[in-house]
Amino acid sequence: MYNAVLTLLQPRLIGAANGFRSRASGVRLLIFFVIGLVFWIGSFLIFYRVLTYFQSVQDFGDILAMKLLSMMILTFFTLLLFSSIINSLSHLYLSRDLSLVHSLPVSIRHIFLSRWLGSAFDSSWMVMAFSLPVLLSYGMVFKAGPGFYLAAAGAVLCLCVIAAGISSLIVLCGAALLPAGKIRTLFVILGVLLALLLVLVLRMIRPEQLVNPDSFASAVLYLNSLQALDRPYLPTTWITDGIRLALKNEWGLSLFNLALSASCFLFLLFLNDTTARLVYFRGFSRAQTAAKRLFAPVQYRGLSWEHLLGFLSRPARAFAVKEIRSFFRDSTQWPQLFLICALIVVYLYNFSVLPLDRTPISSVYLQNVFSFLNVGLAAFVLSAIAARFVFPAVSMEGEAFWIIRAAPVSLKTFLWIKFFLYSFPLLILSELLIVASNLLLGVTPFMMVLSAITIFCLVPAIVALAVGLGARFPDFKSENPALSATSFGGVLFMLLSFGLIALVIALEAGPVYKIFMARIHGRGFSFWSMAWFLLSFALALLLCVFAVVSSMRAGEKHLLSR
Amino acid sequence: MIELLEVTKDYKTTLAVNRLNLRIPAGEIYGFIGPNGAGKTTTIRMMGGIIEPTSGHIAIGGIDLRKDPVAAKKMIGFVPDRPFLYEKLTGLEFLKFVADLYAVAPRILMRRAEELLRQFTLWDWANEIIESYSHGMKQRLIIAAALLHDPKVMIIDEPMVGLDPEGVRMVRDILRGLAANNVTVFVSTHTLSLAEDLCDRIGVISKGALLAEGTVAELNRAAKTGDAGLEEVFLTLVREG
Repeated sequence: MYNAVLTLLQPRLIGAANGFRSRASGVRLLIFFVIGLVFWIGSFLIFYRVLTYFQSVQDFGDILAMKLLSMMILTFFTLLLFSSIINSLSHLYLSRDLSLVHSLPVSIRHIFLSRWLGSAFDSSWMVMAFSLPVLLSYGMVFKAGPGFYLAAAGAVLCLCVIAAGISSLIVLCGAALLPAGKIRTLFVILGVLLALLLVLVLRMIRPEQLVNPDSFASAVLYLNSLQALDRPYLPTTWITDGIRLALKNEWGLSLFNLALSASCFLFLLFLNDTTARLVYFRGFSRAQTAAKRLFAPVQYRGLSWEHLLGFLSRPARAFAVKEIRSFFRDSTQWPQLFLICALIVVYLYNFSVLPLDRTPISSVYLQNVFSFLNVGLAAFVLSAIAARFVFPAVSMEGEAFWIIRAAPVSLKTFLWIKFFLYSFPLLILSELLIVASNLLLGVTPFMMVLSAITIFCLVPAIVALAVGLGARFPDFKSENPALSATSFGGVLFMLLSFGLIALVIALEAGPVYKIFMARIHGRGFSFWSMAWFLLSFALALLLCVFAVVSSMRAGEKHLLSR
Repeated sequence: MIELLEVTKDYKTTLAVNRLNLRIPAGEIYGFIGPNGAGKTTTIRMMGGIIEPTSGHIAIGGIDLRKDPVAAKKMIGFVPDRPFLYEKLTGLEFLKFVADLYAVAPRILMRRAEELLRQFTLWDWANEIIESYSHGMKQRLIIAAALLHDPKVMIIDEPMVGLDPEGVRMVRDILRGLAANNVTVFVSTHTLSLAEDLCDRIGVISKGALLAEGTVAELNRAAKTGDAGLEEVFLTLVREG
């Protein structure tokens, strides 16, 4: 049995090995490794610092550390479930190579198991890699022995395979129950559920209460209640306890919880195997039916995208309409779209509940500091959105890119249309975020105008970086171009985008502080101060313009030379 | 109408096309044949403006493709060997998209789109997303899209792949009709019977270089194969080339 599964996994393994052979991928791999290592060490240092601080808090230190551990496990588990469902759907039903795999003389169980293993690996490796610095910091702060690291590694492995097992079971049942041609609806259902779950979880944690002294008494009760084994039926509780008790050298109970997790996984594997034998092939056959549209097209005249975008030139409108239709008809985009909506709701809600009036620092000062930091934060959120949706925009053309090359439209026009197409909605989104959060903070008109202008300059720069680098590092053959956000080009975009935001914020920070303090104290400005302000703001603007022009040019040049 | 002058494409690891010279007048159907990896698709992609030649010049209707690619491409109807399309658009939406890019007059667009979709028996599928089309339907849609703007030059890579016998006959008749209307047709194919039956002149390419070109009789003379069929001529030329 295992020979067949290994054989089915071979194309993937050999393909990966061949990919590493070239010199170019060696360099990319090295850069990836360095970035990963920096992030890894950063995570370790942050957790180490936080846990050391917790240790210094009398009585509550351990409770806080364990609360953090359980929150982390819960977050990892949610992320794993989300990523595993998407991966399972793709690996089991939608991948291009499935037609070939199903034509091979191999049993359905073997096919399922090999696809499941690939999916479980793809959805888990990152969580596994980045849970290690966290667990290492726990081990070092709590001075745990080598047994703890073994138990923690086992616990994380169980976490990953349990999430993968639950996800594949959901996908198997969903594919069997949904009508033929509607399997992609799972993405939409998942998106809605996840958005709701995220809002619920984040609001249940209510971090603002931790700085509210009035509710501290109830927080004590809350923290104390965490010491008890509540919800003992959840795998996350077993895994958290497996790690927690290993830290305290309570090996009997720790191993019991780990054994419970392992048996849960084995049971899930049995359930998956049985379900796969019963319904996997039927579901796969149904998935081969032509995809049906989720919603019927709107038939009213004047409501079509062509009419709404009638003010654009014909090529621009053609690209815009094609892009919008392709985007909204691709149900794989929907979960992330819902997720962004949920995050924005949480983002704005958190601003509304910030207890600024209860802090010892001047409220006006703090409101405006937050407002300024908010520009950076919103820009970072924008970068993440651009990495997911704008960076893959060129790659999304896929194998149909020949249409663009053969069409009587220059690549420059093609790229600029993409730029404007994504800039417009992202500008509205960012300005809404900034204005709404500033209104919730109650900032001064100066800060309101400054942050609105700053984000107005940053949005085109970030979008151009994403479009330009997306064109510089395109992948027209990818089965899922959205994944290019995690490619070398995607990571480079994130780094450059973060660098740009940091530079712009740093250039503005000095003048903003000076202007703000002068207003509070009713002072004027010297000539040199004015010159400094002007120079700083002009440099920030120039930086944004440079980012737009240079990245768009680099993208165009590369596409032309292909 | 189509002119290639010393066109070379060097992929560093492979010299795909080596100093290729072609001159195809208006109204001619030119067949381009050669073994696998001979450089046919690379030549066609260069002529369609999809890839740039390493050196040499390509002119379409007298317009240098490198100097004014937009004007040159407006004259071309391009059909690639594999029917990759925007899968999430419907057939009709795709034709509208192409019409906007090629500036087809809006007043004639719908009439022309319907005419073509009916001609290619796709009208019943006009409002279905392309994702649900078969390979042959996609191929027919691409040919319909290439004809939408009444091109002066038709460049087709393997036109009959995926088409049913009825489709093959229809495309053959369409290409003949185009040539009769002074449209230059450049066809790359492995189907030698099609080339023999359809083309006015045939070029044989191997290892990136043009071995011979002309009518079947002229090719026979070049290959010294008497009055053999195109298959025999082709095999002889490639073997000796």
